[in-house]
Amino acid sequence: MMRTFLTLACAALVLAPVPVVAQRGHIINRILPRRAAPPQPQLVGIDALRADFLARSGSDTVLFGGDSAILGVPARATLAAQAQWLRQNPQVVIRVEGHAAVSDTREHALAVGARRAEEVRDYLVLMGVPAYQVTAVSMGKERPSGVNARAVTILVR
Amino acid sequence: MRRLIAFLLGALLAAPLAAQQAMPVIAVPPLATPSDKPTSGGQTTLGLAWSASQLIASDLRTTGEMMAFAPDRKDYYSYPEVTAPSYPKWRARGVKALLTGFVQARDDGRLTVGCYVYDVERGRELGRTGFVVAPEEWRRAAHKCSGLAYQSLTGAPGTFDTRVAYVARSGAGAAQVKRLAIMDSDGFEHSYLTEGGADVLTPRLSPNASRLAFVSYETGKPQIRLLDLATGEQRPLLPDNDAMTFAPRFSPDGNDLLFSMTAAGNTDIYLIGVGGGGPRRLTTSPGIDTSPSFSSDGSQIAFESDRSGSQQVYVMNSDGSNQRRISFGGGGFAAPEWSPDGKRIAFTRRGLEGMRIGTMAADGSDQRLLSSGPGDEGPQWAASSRELIFQRTDPAGGNALYRVTLSGGEPRRIVTPTPGSDPDWSGTRE
Repeated sequence: MMRTFLTLACAALVLAPVPVVAQRGHIINRILPRRAAPPQPQLVGIDALRADFLARSGSDTVLFGGDSAILGVPARATLAAQAQWLRQNPQVVIRVEGHAAVSDTREHALAVGARRAEEVRDYLVLMGVPAYQVTAVSMGKERPSGVNARAVTILVR
Repeated sequence: MRRLIAFLLGALLAAPLAAQQAMPVIAVPPLATPSDKPTSGGQTTLGLAWSASQLIASDLRTTGEMMAFAPDRKDYYSYPEVTAPSYPKWRARGVKALLTGFVQARDDGRLTVGCYVYDVERGRELGRTGFVVAPEEWRRAAHKCSGLAYQSLTGAPGTFDTRVAYVARSGAGAAQVKRLAIMDSDGFEHSYLTEGGADVLTPRLSPNASRLAFVSYETGKPQIRLLDLATGEQRPLLPDNDAMTFAPRFSPDGNDLLFSMTAAGNTDIYLIGVGGGGPRRLTTSPGIDTSPSFSSDGSQIAFESDRSGSQQVYVMNSDGSNQRRISFGGGGFAAPEWSPDGKRIAFTRRGLEGMRIGTMAADGSDQRLLSSGPGDEGPQWAASSRELIFQRTDPAGGNALYRVTLSGGEPRRIVTPTPGSDPDWSGTRE
């Protein structure tokens, strides 16, 4: 299980041929024991998990329109992929951060961010992710980026 | 005389003519002292009298509601003349009102500060006030004198002996540090109340400026905390609750707190005793109900709700009954704040041109916008109900605090050590 996971993590971060080389290296090592295997990126812990999550879910971010918290078709597809990964990694704890537009007022933005974060949390739970894995947090308009009508899934541990 | 004309000209240029004609002129000649004595504050009583009169003139000028002649050394008067001003001399200079006063050293090391305000045209006293203060507290005594002059000329309480709490921001982007800060309304006595480890938002002062409620990310989520300004002690408002809470506002007596809490994606308004007890839910609509603000008598609550589709201002009784929409017209109306005199409600308007601040009558009529935007929000009232403090965000994302009078004129920037946001203005201190 763990090895499968690590291979996947490698696949996520480095170019696709590398795992093949790794396998070949393994074989070559057996045939020619003195020849060193090519160096492998050592991905362990939360960074490896994050890389794998991102690669397999497609995105850690879903977008909304206006002040709404309605999940569109692309958002649902992303969350379904996120949920599948989370079900397979039940030891991972996530934080869903809901954001609102800079043009929103401070307190309404906190409420909009909260509604978005809780909408995403509820959808993930609906898709079979245990509720204890997910915390919903509003960032209001405190962390502006290019697109502010968004919710971001962050792997905490 | 030339200086006087230059001053008048400057004032004429700075203010619109309509406001100019209605603007009263007050003279603040240097305060007297019966005898010049040293004080523990470093300055002698004569020096403090000079500093106090300069501060009073500066206070009155910053209101934008009156012209104040700065103290001039040639206008010194004797101690007996404090209560017997030379009306003809001041009438000849075209002033409407005169402030005189004195600073006297006491045997116990403290000071007696007295102030008198006169109607120069009618030749009569309008009011007097006096205090015994430590020499280090001379600024507060001067602010009280400014308050007397302001109240004598406008009928509204002065805002000089008040405090402003805000969020001081340093750095940019995700690395930006947000600290709670507090200062006198003239920018003095500035201090930071939090270290910046956790993000903070929306400090709200209790009416007598003894407590602060604010939103903190201490737990990772936005949750309200209470800070005792005398002891510096902090505690969470709801220690055993995991929900997101924000938008705190004290009741007029300071004993209760209104706030918003999000549960299952729904944000509603709650009321809780500051001393303890459980929260009581006041709204149940499926939309976002937030930014609650008590009326000055505590009987009603203004709040914003997007239950109609866009943010609008609503009013309800303090038990949550009789909820009714009062804002209509183009765009959304957010963040209502009821004025201390109960007559008007300040708001932030969200429209195509961005965010602007304004006020409306307490029944929603007579809307007036006071700023041009596009990043102006969060107006909070001065104790006088004649002025607002608010936050302006420039297109590059920089924040600053501004104040604007209801009678008109351009908003004026308030100088802070770092960029500031989320201002709140206390009532007058006891």
